[in-house]
Amino acid sequence: MIEALWLLAGGAAAGGFGSLLGLGGGVLLVPLLTLVFGLDLRAAVGVSLVSVIVTSSAAAGVYLERNIANLRLGMTLELFTACGALVGGLVAFLIDERLLTFLFSGLLVYVAITMLRAREPAPDDGAQLRPDLDVPDDHHVEPLAAGDLVSFRSAALARLSGEAYAVRNLGRGIVGSTGAGVVSALLGIGGGIIKVPLMHVGMGVPLRVATATSNLMIGVTAAASAVIYLLRGEIDPYTAGTVAIGVFVGASVGSRVAHRIELRFLNLLFVAVLLWTALQMLLKAVG
Amino acid sequence: MNGSPQAGPAFERRLGRLLTAVTYVAVGLLAIGVVLMLLAGISPLAVGPPFDPAQLVPDLRALEPAGFLWLGLLAVIATPLSRVVGAAIGFVKRGEPLMAAISVAILVVIGISILAALGTR
Repeated sequence: MIEALWLLAGGAAAGGFGSLLGLGGGVLLVPLLTLVFGLDLRAAVGVSLVSVIVTSSAAAGVYLERNIANLRLGMTLELFTACGALVGGLVAFLIDERLLTFLFSGLLVYVAITMLRAREPAPDDGAQLRPDLDVPDDHHVEPLAAGDLVSFRSAALARLSGEAYAVRNLGRGIVGSTGAGVVSALLGIGGGIIKVPLMHVGMGVPLRVATATSNLMIGVTAAASAVIYLLRGEIDPYTAGTVAIGVFVGASVGSRVAHRIELRFLNLLFVAVLLWTALQMLLKAVG
Repeated sequence: MNGSPQAGPAFERRLGRLLTAVTYVAVGLLAIGVVLMLLAGISPLAVGPPFDPAQLVPDLRALEPAGFLWLGLLAVIATPLSRVVGAAIGFVKRGEPLMAAISVAILVVIGISILAALGTR
């Protein structure tokens, strides 16, 4: 009973902090499950993937209902994130767990640096359930005159563009999405930390749309590798169910109280936690 | 915009509602499983029974926590796929063959994932 409460609380904390900071639970959950609860890394990744699907699906439903996510762009790119996740999900069982742990510590350092540089919540990884909390940063939006669309080199790009912005560099998006899928499957994260900058900076998609579209893609990406973890026996129903409920509750609460909390201090605190966790994971990797 | 019929916001709203509804069903199943697990005094860190499709219905009938948890986990994984299936049907109805083909291709990739996992167990 006590273990269940701790696991629920841990999941809720990961989901809540993730939601407050615009990160998914995966970045927090995997270290929590491995360092605190003693799960091996692959088992933690499997549990994390399930939790990421739950939170991203809840958020993506809202984003779609509010017509914020770009469905066509998301589905086009998620075909490639799913391919990457398929490869990553298979490769994850071939490489040494120490190497995976080392890679995860590198990811934590990358996320910490990204958060320090951005000085604002990092791109969403699936936990944000209230899209209206994602303040749009529209300075990168490329306004289009009605006739501009016909000048696009590719009808496909025009088809994927929104009413107020033009999608560009689809090839870059495809390559980046495939890579995001691989990383997601290897490390149990949603991959929003890669996909949002890719779409926003690399493809000209407004930040708010990129965040919503990333959320949409996370579910399919994580599902492609979660089935591999499940069928290979790396997802335990007791642990995964408990953690997923905790993460769902935490993310829901976090998204509702985010506007009442001073995020700047929380951000810095979180960066420190990420770096400390990265060090612990590194120490675990080197034995 | 480009001459082809475009799925309007109503289409996306329907998909959003579908996604939200399936998510809540999945979370509900997991919640029932967790409650049953706690009532049975099972630790969430205990090693659970492996996934066995043949055991799912008997476990559900017997109100075994593992039955609800496995069904909930399957529902979680199926949640984004239900959106893809819904989108595929919508794109076909609206005469968008390219997007319909992309939707089907996504499902094919998931199918390959399942086969690859079964083949490498």
